[in-house]
Amino acid sequence: MKENLYDKLVAYIVENQDRFYRLAFSCVKNQEDALDAVQNAVCKALAHYEDLRNEDAVKTWFYRIVLHESYAILNAKKRFIPADDTHYSEIPYEEKRYEIHDDLYAQISRMEPDTQNIIKLRFFEELELREISQVLNMNLNTVKTKLYRGLKALKIAIREEDCT
Amino acid sequence: MKEMEDTKKSYENIPIPAELSKRVQLEIEKANANQKRKAIHIQRRRILMKKTAIAATAAVVLLTTGLNTSQTFAQELGGIPVVGSIARVLTFRSYETDKTDIKTSVDIPTIEMISTELDGLEKGVNKEIYAFCEQYAEEAQARAEEYRQAFLETGGTEEEWAAHDIKIKVWYDVKAFTGDYLSIAVMGTDSWSNASADAKYYTFDAKAGKWLTLSDVLDGDLKSAEENIRSQIVQKEKETGMNFWDEDWGGLTEDAKFYVNAAGNPVIVFAPYEIAPGAAGQQEFEIIK
Repeated sequence: MKENLYDKLVAYIVENQDRFYRLAFSCVKNQEDALDAVQNAVCKALAHYEDLRNEDAVKTWFYRIVLHESYAILNAKKRFIPADDTHYSEIPYEEKRYEIHDDLYAQISRMEPDTQNIIKLRFFEELELREISQVLNMNLNTVKTKLYRGLKALKIAIREEDCT
Repeated sequence: MKEMEDTKKSYENIPIPAELSKRVQLEIEKANANQKRKAIHIQRRRILMKKTAIAATAAVVLLTTGLNTSQTFAQELGGIPVVGSIARVLTFRSYETDKTDIKTSVDIPTIEMISTELDGLEKGVNKEIYAFCEQYAEEAQARAEEYRQAFLETGGTEEEWAAHDIKIKVWYDVKAFTGDYLSIAVMGTDSWSNASADAKYYTFDAKAGKWLTLSDVLDGDLKSAEENIRSQIVQKEKETGMNFWDEDWGGLTEDAKFYVNAAGNPVIVFAPYEIAPGAAGQQEFEIIK
């Protein structure tokens, strides 16, 4: 049973590694760190697969670990920023080789991290709001509110089904 | 919404480096190797535990026979109920190593029964503690060495590796040393993956003259302790704003880790990632009697 879960987790990781990489890249914004984040996430997930009691939770569990590792890398980097530059980085570091030339995407990347993640998980990864609340350890209503406000700020017509 | 769909396309166009699948594969292979090693260890551990159980039962039988047959023996035993005078915890072996910039420090405790009546009861536990400490240090070193190999193979330099400052630590902490209980935690951690922390807990009851199980300290009532923990989780979620994974928790079982604190209350321990996000660290729940 446990070995079975381990094998399933490995298969899930292999199948979805591109998705994890994109999510990590959209957080850390460069290739090297995104690779590190995914690698760390895979390492931790496989070391702890026994804690995953509910097989159906694999998806939200793994996204949670990817985001956690991505932010761990970002936070470690923040320590090297001089003390007077303590504000949330206004000019995100972008990998030279690849930039998404898209106004809406750029706008999303400038939003507060929670809102960014909610929008990315909802529209790019197509997770349900209930799943997002599990990934982000956040109350479902908070997720709804943040998504609603975020979309409003982006001046996007809000459809009922996106926010429920 | 059209805009959002276009944006989704550009998100999906984030190029995937060829290195990704290699790095993922590397982790999977590392984990597979660990899986195999774990399977062997579990087997070994089972054998060791069986032997220990037999030895412990033998000692208890001797002790109870003594109590039933000899009045004076019982009185003598009744006169020395303080753990302080019947047992002590010593550091049995302590060493530090530094190999390929992997620093290891190990303190292995051992329990000594001063009282001759209880002599022998500590042997099995000491053996287990020793095996745990040595095994943890060995496995953590092997893991770090694999990490080092992988790091160097993927283009890291020795200097960069040294900067990782990998530390492995095995140590112990006496949780309670009261008239009634001796409770000790033996722990292993490494500095680079909080995922691999491990610990063992032992609690000796001086009055009963035996090692306690979770049922013993909860008077057999695991159910209400579990309810207690669940309500404490609700409280902790409110305080920390973090979402615990209690809905995935299978409930309190006999093999849960616990110790007895100075107040004599049992404390149930969950490793990081076991019941809460790793960032929340190890979780402890005191069951106030």
